Amino acid sequence: MATVNETKSNQQTSETKYLSEFYHLPEFKGIDGYKKNGGYVDLEKALKMQPQQIIDEVKASGLRGRGGAGFSTGMKWGFLPKNDEPRYLLCNADEGEPGTFKDRMMMEKAPHQLIEAMIISGYAINSKKSYIYVRGEYDESINTLTTAIQEAYKAGYLGKNILGSGFDHDMDVYRGAGAYICGEETGMISSLEGLKGQPKLKPPFPAVQGYLRKPTIVNNVETLAVVKYIIRDGAAAYKKYGTEKSTGTKLFSLSGNIIKPGNFEVPLGYPLKDMVYILGGGFKPGRKLKAVIPGGSSAPVLTAEEAEKATLDYECLAEMGTMLGSGAIIVIDDSACMVECLANLMHFYHHESCGQCTPCREGTGWLDKIVHSILSGKGRMQDIELLIKIADNMKGKTICALADAAALPVLSFVTKFRDEFEYFVREGKSKVKGVAYVADHTH
Amino acid sequence: MSPITLIKCTINGVELEVKQGKTIIEAMSENAQRIAHYCWHPGLSIAGVCRLCMVEIEGNPRVQIACNTVITEGMKINNTSAKVRDAVKWGLDFHLINHPLDCPVCDQAGECGLQDQYMEYGKYDPEMAERKQRKRKVVDLGPTIVLDSERCILCSRCVRFTSEITKTHELGIFSRGDHSEIGTHDGKPLDNKYSLNTVDICPVGALTSKDFRFKQRVWYLKDADTICNGCSTGCNTKVYFNKEGVFRVKPRVNMEVNGHWMCDEGRDTYKFVNKEVRLLKGQKFANGTWQAEMHAGAAVKDAHLALSQASGDSIAVVLTGQHTVEEYEAIVSTFNDKFKTKNVFHWVNNKESFESFDGLLLRGDKNPNTKGLLDVLAKHGISSQWKNLEEGLKSGKITHLVVFGPENLPVFPDLQQNLNIFATAKNLIYFTSAAIPQLKNHASSNQITLIPLKTYVEKDGTFVNFQGKAQSFKRATTIVSEALTGVEAAQLLAGSEIRIKQVTEKQLFTSAHERKDQVQLEHRKKNEFVFNRGRL
Repeated sequence: MATVNETKSNQQTSETKYLSEFYHLPEFKGIDGYKKNGGYVDLEKALKMQPQQIIDEVKASGLRGRGGAGFSTGMKWGFLPKNDEPRYLLCNADEGEPGTFKDRMMMEKAPHQLIEAMIISGYAINSKKSYIYVRGEYDESINTLTTAIQEAYKAGYLGKNILGSGFDHDMDVYRGAGAYICGEETGMISSLEGLKGQPKLKPPFPAVQGYLRKPTIVNNVETLAVVKYIIRDGAAAYKKYGTEKSTGTKLFSLSGNIIKPGNFEVPLGYPLKDMVYILGGGFKPGRKLKAVIPGGSSAPVLTAEEAEKATLDYECLAEMGTMLGSGAIIVIDDSACMVECLANLMHFYHHESCGQCTPCREGTGWLDKIVHSILSGKGRMQDIELLIKIADNMKGKTICALADAAALPVLSFVTKFRDEFEYFVREGKSKVKGVAYVADHTH
Repeated sequence: MSPITLIKCTINGVELEVKQGKTIIEAMSENAQRIAHYCWHPGLSIAGVCRLCMVEIEGNPRVQIACNTVITEGMKINNTSAKVRDAVKWGLDFHLINHPLDCPVCDQAGECGLQDQYMEYGKYDPEMAERKQRKRKVVDLGPTIVLDSERCILCSRCVRFTSEITKTHELGIFSRGDHSEIGTHDGKPLDNKYSLNTVDICPVGALTSKDFRFKQRVWYLKDADTICNGCSTGCNTKVYFNKEGVFRVKPRVNMEVNGHWMCDEGRDTYKFVNKEVRLLKGQKFANGTWQAEMHAGAAVKDAHLALSQASGDSIAVVLTGQHTVEEYEAIVSTFNDKFKTKNVFHWVNNKESFESFDGLLLRGDKNPNTKGLLDVLAKHGISSQWKNLEEGLKSGKITHLVVFGPENLPVFPDLQQNLNIFATAKNLIYFTSAAIPQLKNHASSNQITLIPLKTYVEKDGTFVNFQGKAQSFKRATTIVSEALTGVEAAQLLAGSEIRIKQVTEKQLFTSAHERKDQVQLEHRKKNEFVFNRGRL
């Protein structure tokens, strides 16, 4: 198997446009352009299959959730109770992880791709109703999706007795109200139910008791979109992309101090350094790589040395103590102060904690305040150790993963760039920028 | 119903058999194992937010919350390992970093969950050096409750109470993260008949009762179990008292009667037992004026003499549903056997709403023992009609009227009207725990004797609630030492020589619950804090 992997991760200097093959075509957005380029063919094919066959195919493809957790999609679907209870399919388009902007592109450029894939998925799990929960700020996505759903209804792909198969499916777009926590699947369910967007205690898991206490599957935009292609090409063909355990291609959102930021689709297992230097175009003259956050702001940071060695797949990044997450690669060059970067992240998590669980509610604020007092030159040496202790004790102690998401960057920033933190405390100013920051941090 | 399956598990080395479906925290609290928790409450849904009830389960590398983990066969659980203790310590620290730590001026001090857990898991030097979160203080939530948001630990018990128990939904958590605050919606204060339960279940000093706050430090109070005499539900309660009187009433758990809760009305039942509103001495009205106050014993002896001269049906007795079964038995048999009268009348207050019920606890019958009274009357074959009393008084057939009046006057809207009727008797002997100025102002040419009675907290007895459930209770304290119980009154009226244990001023208010190291109130009043701890 190793040899297969090696041949797969060959030096590849361009994207592998699998999902994003037609994204450059403006007509792909409308139903006619979409159908011209292979749209809704796979729905017809899927409706002729047995639902279980589709689930088996998805399982066989090795597809893992593209939203952050990387959980096997087929397995998730398998958790649904085997009965006739009404069930829901929710598409998680509340793309809020800092650094991530791939779902937005997918929804804006190819809304029908998502809709078709969702109808197929709905058919597979026998759900007659699905919602796309879109981040409130994504006006354009909401508009394109709403138009596209109307088109799909008109064309008979949604509604009663789709394409004469006897399968009914309805779809709606739900607009979020701007909370990061609503991207957590149970937080999203609460929000969709009209409650405050707070994650729910598990168990019961959504597949057993989710939206309106009915079995519910929540999948990311990209995850669902892939289902169409697994039906088109079959699991075996899909598995040709990527590595043994991280199959397929993935859209990566590249941002930070690089020349060409943007979304890039590459097979999993693609070297991170190629992503930065080849697809991302490298750095401004005189700048060099300092650190990379490989999977959205919650993923532990990688140092330049680690980043040079990393490949973009679930296993390699997990081995390095970080994660693929949502595929948001934030590149940091040597002009950035790591204390400042962490302060930015801490402000975010402090602001976004839903406030249910005490360790997260109080901990995120505490971390934020400590990092900001270091940033304003008023830090104490024991604060550095304290940051680690607080983060350690928030991790794994709460209902959802937001506390972990806040704790992991702290642990990685402080341990990997400890000298910058110590310098800041000792000298009262940034090692990189030579200044302290005025404490305008009022909470 | 499927048979109950028992499964085996081990908690802190103790092997237990628990019902299938029980959570770890339920099993632990039912088996007297200590576990720290704030948000979990046996009467409410599981929130799982305080993250304090951490336990270690063998085979699971991460500590788990006990409140949302159902026990499975063979589970090995502990909450005493260093790992768990450290997790709880940190859980507690997260609760405390933004807490104002204003225990010296906080009403909850002494019965505060944060203090308790700090003594158990804390005792560390605080590491929080940042500025604390500022929130609203002294927020008026409604007619009964004041909120201090800074003290609040957002356990959401009160919110769940109003949404799950009263279903009134007044409370909610507003804002997000560490700005979160408990609050009410605009124009909708926390105003329901069970609102004060939120104060009971609040583990900290965030919600305080307007009625009780700043009245007493809780460590100056003793408590004793009793039964609420506010209505026929018969909630199991606790009264909190000291030498200065009774200060509050809280519910006790009895799943067959009141569950975990009690109503706000029932909490007011302490208000008519305190000295200020009580009849302290016996007093007689004769020859057109009120005589000097006299000892209750002397008054009742006079009454005995008066009754001895009357005969049979010229004597009548009026009873309310406010006394104990033992008292009814003594009174009814005394009048039946000794005075040979079957004229025993049941004074029914608010007849119209007698059968009403609010679906939770409050019943229209505002007497704790109507059922007990009816049972005793039936046993003695008594079926007197109220109109017979009125007629008897009017016609002069009834000359001597003995009334055992109610304790809880506000629930007797017909009090004044009936007092007017009673006062037409030639000789009225009125036993009452409450001072009734209405009768004192009454001008008549008849003879009236007022004799003090004891209240429900001052006597042993039994109430039979609406279900027919007999609930016995013990004396909690003594407030008016001279006052008689109904049993003593009956015996004295019958002419028995009984020794009524005299309670000296010093013995007054003593209780079995008194602690040796109690701060003495006299010292406290003089601002001298002397702890009688004995030898140190």
